[in-house]
Amino acid sequence: MSEFDVIVIGAGPAGSSAAIKLAQGGMNVLLVERGDPPGTKNVSGAVLWGDELSKVVPDWERSAPIERYVTRKEVAFLTEKSKIAISYSSQDLMERKSGKIIVRGKFDQWLARKAKDAGAMLVTGITIDKLVIDGGKVIGVMQDGDVITSDAVIVAEGANPRVLINSGLRPKLSDHDVALGIKETIKLPENVINERFNVDSKGGYASEFVLGFLDDGILSGGFLYTNRDTVSLGIVASLDRLRANGMTHSYDIMGKFEEHPFIKNLIKDGIPDEYAAHLVPEGGLASMPKLYGNGYLVTGDAAMFTFSNGMVLQGINYAITSGILAAETILENKGKISEETLSNYVNKLRNSYVLSDLYTFNGIQNVTWSDFTQKTMPKILDSVMMSMFDERGMPKKHLMQVLSAAVKSNGMKYTELISSGYRMMRKM
Amino acid sequence: MKIEEKLSLLNYKTDRSYAHITIDPDICATCPDHFCVFACPANCYTLINGKLNFKYEDCVECGTCDIACSHGSVKWTLPKGDNGVIYKYG
Ligand SMILES: Cc1cc2nc3c(=O)[nH]c(=O)nc-3n(C[C@H](O)[C@H](O)[C@H](O)COP(=O)(O)OP(=O)(O)OC[C@H]3O[C@@H](n4cnc5c(N)ncnc54)[C@H](O)[C@@H]3O)c2cc1C
Ligand code: SF4
Ligand code: SF4
Repeated sequence: MSEFDVIVIGAGPAGSSAAIKLAQGGMNVLLVERGDPPGTKNVSGAVLWGDELSKVVPDWERSAPIERYVTRKEVAFLTEKSKIAISYSSQDLMERKSGKIIVRGKFDQWLARKAKDAGAMLVTGITIDKLVIDGGKVIGVMQDGDVITSDAVIVAEGANPRVLINSGLRPKLSDHDVALGIKETIKLPENVINERFNVDSKGGYASEFVLGFLDDGILSGGFLYTNRDTVSLGIVASLDRLRANGMTHSYDIMGKFEEHPFIKNLIKDGIPDEYAAHLVPEGGLASMPKLYGNGYLVTGDAAMFTFSNGMVLQGINYAITSGILAAETILENKGKISEETLSNYVNKLRNSYVLSDLYTFNGIQNVTWSDFTQKTMPKILDSVMMSMFDERGMPKKHLMQVLSAAVKSNGMKYTELISSGYRMMRKM
Repeated sequence: MKIEEKLSLLNYKTDRSYAHITIDPDICATCPDHFCVFACPANCYTLINGKLNFKYEDCVECGTCDIACSHGSVKWTLPKGDNGVIYKYG
């Protein structure tokens, strides 16, 4: 007889969502979190996209700590001296409230409390070392030498999957599996944010950046999201490019981003209040561990469920949905947990956007993390814009001629531009 | 703002009796790339007169150095219990 029906490792969005669903289904659930309180170990931008949480907490937006709703979304290329952006402001987007800007420190604590309210047993400040496997079946978890038993375990430990690694259930991570995220939270008065980012006090600005100005092969994206009275500024940098470069400190990429003229003026007079770093799954299908086994299921970042195409970075919604689907799988197989019954988790993921997105966008990282997207594109766009707006009292050229000159001056052939552009459009 | 100043914004509960990450100085002594020094976002790995110096106290538990070191020197575990970095915002 096990001590718990289910043990959930990690009270991030994946784990807490799973625990709520399980507790609602009448299960005896232990939710274990190493941070005390939950959220104190976690790092995100963060925009939570979509409304998945309503499946377990029906009117969640009423009580959740939401900083602002995205009403202005930008995607921008930064070159050394320029910014080329697509800016989308929309009243429909405002009404749909699709993007909720959150601070994980507050949000995770709130969500874990919801799990507790639903009847899960929440213990914090406890670090699980590994799964306990007996005769090929997971029978519980090990914590500082003690074994806690359960019929099933949901692994929701996030992007640095020590439990899976320690249990021999996935190889160590490599440069291609993850990118390095670095983030700063900067204090700015609410009214300054409203004015500077042209939003009202409910509305928010969220922007992704391609850092085309970085030299020596370094590839990194950037983001800036407005909270109520702070701004989240961060980068997500490729580890294999950092390694190939061999002479740039990761924290200096963050430093260069915040010093960029078009970022600097956005955070002017801001007071830095926190520095943070965390891994971001980037490898897609190729990096995924086995998602289930006899007695366990893997969810969220631990399963490498994230999506990024340079325009958005999403992982929290994938975590929530995979957590709920893992819980459903266990609920449907109460009393008959086995590798075979739990395999239905994968079917559920395939029928949802979680795995379908990963399949649809398989290989997208070859586009988002390419020199074409991150270096050539911004430079060409910059040349085109400059030729169009730098009025020198000369006869004007057609856009195609301008583009062609820009392509050439950036050392590229027109045919290369077309084939790279086509590949990019197809993958995105 | 310097990295040292940024790190000073952070709160930690430091476990003085247990270093959750350790390195093997013999391996580091012959390391050709010292990639840990460049990869660690918290400046825990530094070169002092050519010798690798590692301090776990500023670690934010990201896991990067375990990937960065391709020479088998880093032994990586999570801090015990609730020790380590305590983010306010995260
Ligand atoms: C810089 C950055 C920006 C991002 N921006 C966005 C964004 O804007 N929008 C978005 O949707 N996603 C974003 N993401 C991705 C998003 O943060 C993740 O996809 C999401 O947090 C995954 O949720 P999770 O529950 O799977 O893992 P986590 O949120 O990492 O939660 C895992 C939990 O498990 C706990 N834990 C880990 N190991 C143990 C253990 N051994 N014992 C006990 N507890 C343990 C941790 O403390 C943590 O609470 C961003 C990520 C980064 C790093
Ligand atoms: S930890 Fe690894 S990468 Fe760093 S100096 Fe030692 S051997 Fe080299
Ligand atoms: S885990 Fe991250 S912060 Fe800690 S020493 Fe390694 S690279 Fe540095």
